[in-house]
Amino acid sequence: MPRPPTIAQQLASKQREISVAEFFERNRQILGFDNLPRAMLTTVKEAVDNSVDVCDEARIAPEISVEIAKEGEDRFRVAVTDNGPGILRREIPNVFARLLYGSRFHSNRQARGQQGIGISAAVLYANLTTARPVRIVSRVEEEDVAHVLELFIDTQKNQPRVVLDDVALPESAHGTKVELVLKAKYVRGRQSVLEYLRGTAIVNPHARLVLQEPDGTRVTFERATEELPAVPKETPPHPYGLELGELGSLLKASRQATVSEFLVKDLQGVSARAAKELLVAAGIPGATKPVAVQGDVQERLLAALRAAPLLAPSSEGLSPIGAMLIKRGLRNVLGTLRPDFFAPPVTRPAKVRGGFPFLVEVGLVYGGALPVDEPVQILRFANRVPLLFQQGACAITTAIGSVDWRRYGLEQKGGSGIPVGPALLLVHIASTKVPFTSEAKEAVAEDPEIDRELVLALQAAARHLRTHLSRASRREFAGEKFSIIQKILPKLAEKTSHLVGKPVPDLTPVVTRIMDVVHVETGLTQEAKTRRVPVTVTNYTPRPRVVELFLEVAPELFARATFAPEPDGTEPALGRAWWTLPKLPPNGRSELAVTFAAPCDVDADDLDWYVAGIDEARLLGADPLPGDWDVRLPRTVVEAAEAAEGAPAGAPGEEEVDYDAAEASAGVRDDD
Amino acid sequence: MPPKRARASATTTDAPSEEPRADALAPTLDLARSIYEQLDRGEIPRMRLPLRTKQNLSFQMREGVWRLGKAMGTRSARKLDGAQMLLRTFYLVDFINEMARDKKTSTLRELYYISEGWEEAKFGSEDESNLLIEDLEVLCSRLREDFRLHPEENGASVLGDLTIKERNRKGIVKTINCRDDVGDGGYALPFDVEDGKIEFVKTSAKFVIAIECGGMVDRLAENGFDERENAILLHLKGQPARSTRRFLRRLSDELHLPVVVFTDGDPWSFRIFASVAYGAIKTAHLSNYLATPSAEFLGVTASDIENYELPSDKLSEQDVRALEAERTDPRFQTAEWRSEIELMLKNGKKAEQQSLAKYGLNYVTDHYLPEKLAEMGVR
Repeated sequence: MPRPPTIAQQLASKQREISVAEFFERNRQILGFDNLPRAMLTTVKEAVDNSVDVCDEARIAPEISVEIAKEGEDRFRVAVTDNGPGILRREIPNVFARLLYGSRFHSNRQARGQQGIGISAAVLYANLTTARPVRIVSRVEEEDVAHVLELFIDTQKNQPRVVLDDVALPESAHGTKVELVLKAKYVRGRQSVLEYLRGTAIVNPHARLVLQEPDGTRVTFERATEELPAVPKETPPHPYGLELGELGSLLKASRQATVSEFLVKDLQGVSARAAKELLVAAGIPGATKPVAVQGDVQERLLAALRAAPLLAPSSEGLSPIGAMLIKRGLRNVLGTLRPDFFAPPVTRPAKVRGGFPFLVEVGLVYGGALPVDEPVQILRFANRVPLLFQQGACAITTAIGSVDWRRYGLEQKGGSGIPVGPALLLVHIASTKVPFTSEAKEAVAEDPEIDRELVLALQAAARHLRTHLSRASRREFAGEKFSIIQKILPKLAEKTSHLVGKPVPDLTPVVTRIMDVVHVETGLTQEAKTRRVPVTVTNYTPRPRVVELFLEVAPELFARATFAPEPDGTEPALGRAWWTLPKLPPNGRSELAVTFAAPCDVDADDLDWYVAGIDEARLLGADPLPGDWDVRLPRTVVEAAEAAEGAPAGAPGEEEVDYDAAEASAGVRDDD
Repeated sequence: MPPKRARASATTTDAPSEEPRADALAPTLDLARSIYEQLDRGEIPRMRLPLRTKQNLSFQMREGVWRLGKAMGTRSARKLDGAQMLLRTFYLVDFINEMARDKKTSTLRELYYISEGWEEAKFGSEDESNLLIEDLEVLCSRLREDFRLHPEENGASVLGDLTIKERNRKGIVKTINCRDDVGDGGYALPFDVEDGKIEFVKTSAKFVIAIECGGMVDRLAENGFDERENAILLHLKGQPARSTRRFLRRLSDELHLPVVVFTDGDPWSFRIFASVAYGAIKTAHLSNYLATPSAEFLGVTASDIENYELPSDKLSEQDVRALEAERTDPRFQTAEWRSEIELMLKNGKKAEQQSLAKYGLNYVTDHYLPEKLAEMGVR
């Protein structure tokens, strides 16, 4: 009589039955396939993220097309084509039809996908929901033909099953096309394929993205720059971020002869001296073979590593977008909204949490067609990938809500929460390991270090906004004055002169009394390969003035700038230049120009102008020179600054009631 | 209720004589000279004007009307609004000087359209042109008629035994009896009701009753109220035009007729009465010419609504705000008006003149008016 199977045997047989299909079913939500619209988005996202990543690695400007066609009720064909390097024939089945297979799984650098579950999960989903294979067409440059493969995932064994293996005439020099048929829904709106591609285009201005929607609509996000992002360096792991198991496998895999060499060469941040000291502290002989470090010894080594004063993790594994490209990306994609203001983007220096470097970047756009009475739009990114779900649970959102935006010119109930106003915030976190709240990688987890950096970056962007708004309101006030002196006053003089039969008087004294400002006016003209910023300084005050004009601009822009006339002094490292202009009589003006050589993306807003010795109320288009500019001013300017000046004209506190304001406020019009 | 005065004694000092417009333009040129000189001296040009606000009304004992007080405001080219108004002023001055040269007149509405060609000085609305003309009246101590500008709207209509002479547009003098020579619409007042245009000949009437709504005028006429009570019916047409108020003032001054005002019982009608009797805020500079200080308010009062148990409506939010504003309006600071306003606010009710029809079509002429007139000592 056969013995009944033991409990252990029963369990074992059950365990075998847990196939990848089951694994998938159980983890649908964290894998991003829990509903039909999301299955569509996740599929496109996995394919596109991969494509952009391989293009970047191969130093190819990405050109990616996403075509979505309806095949039936809730059934779509999704094809993603890239111009990447292509995939070798032998690698294709594993890349697309085997879960947890990927080249980036353990690499310590910033990458879009961080675990190898991505595209194969989409393939599995497609297999399960439509019983149709994934079709791959890929060509590598070295081969004359493209390989065409159709694959299923064997859900019992987590192995690829090839159902078609063919070659075809290639359509391009290199690249890969993935085609899937899946059960899904195509939607528009906040959490849609279109929004995801729009976000991807903003933070990857070097990519060209084309979307063909099921109804035939084609949307193209053109490339905004030819400049490819620097490839982040692959850096060895830093001990502060190591877990015991990881340390064990690193030791086992090490090719170094001794543990002390292992510490210095296979890890980062450990100097030879630090290695020596910490090995002494851990009681491990330096000449021990790495593989021999096991068990207790391993634990002691890790403890010693964590306690040792090591160099901070290198940020070379990070790939920030950079101020210039954030601006260009935002302008490229949001240009149709005609925003009034693109704040100079903020890229914070890299910081460390655990053993992983990270950095925060913030871009801010204001005005134009952005809605005035709605919460500001938030575009979240992690390692250049848009985050479309779980906004409320994300550390980025929390950080935005913790800034008091009222101080910077946005509305915000009670000084916390998402502010309201015509603004859009772009927040990018780059890290070799972004702490997500779940494997679905939809929201960044709370972390005090990251939060601190987020808040600092947001505040820096907000300060730019405040400066912009206060300049705008001064410009508006000045605009009124210009209307008076340019349009109204000359006619008033003409009319009254005509009525009394006398010649029109010289209006200069009246004009300067009404304006009573020194006006620094800048323009922007785009020439073939350059951008020219012409500057006119007009003395709209009743007395002659020597104007000491100062320019400050980002040092990298300064390096591309030429000046006419030559400045009287410069400090290129700080991006500063200054001029002493010839003495300007009332109504007199002086001109100069700054020209920037290509490639550059300069706005008039990128140039800050300062004037020494004139108070803020008498300056328009420039601010008073900050006290920390350690510049020696010419004597004439110092004297002029010291000479007492009365309150500027147009300031509040006129001696009598403004007749027209009184009439309006007293409501004469709707009274009897 | 209103500040009581001996019946019409004040003669108007500003009232134009028959060929009055000759010196009208000199003050406008003085204004231009003042601005020119400021510009020439390098000063920011400005003008001072008495404020035409509720807070700047002051009661003139001698004339029995509310006139502008001493508070002044400045219109300066330092501000865009002020500069624009200054420029408009001189486009307007230029225009009226031109009209005088060409012997033309223009309506306010025409003026508004003429300003289309004034570029920066163009009026944004007809309100703005009206306000500016009133400013000019104040600055020059002249009437807009002196500037050859007149309103579009006609004055009210008059029905009753009153004989007048009107010099019509062809220069022919017509003698008209406002009861026997006119149709059921009554005699329509022209915009100019001054002495050279209209003259009073004779009347058998004992008083004038100024009425807010046309329907009520018709009711009184149909019921033969004017003949039975020897009354002149005058239709105010809501907030009365200047010519209507001027005509009332002349009836009061020259024919020594008592004037009673019969309106709806709501805050807006109180204002109609105030502008008839005490002077309007906007035209307070002309109060001694347009206001009829002897006019008395007949009703509908807040107490009438209670006493006669009239069908009423609830006060709207705007009504309440209007009453609140009247609380601080110096023209309504008599004991009677204060208690009326408080009563209306307390009861929260308003009523129309026509609500008296609750008791039948004859009730207003047989009961309400006789009772109220007797109370007031008019009948």
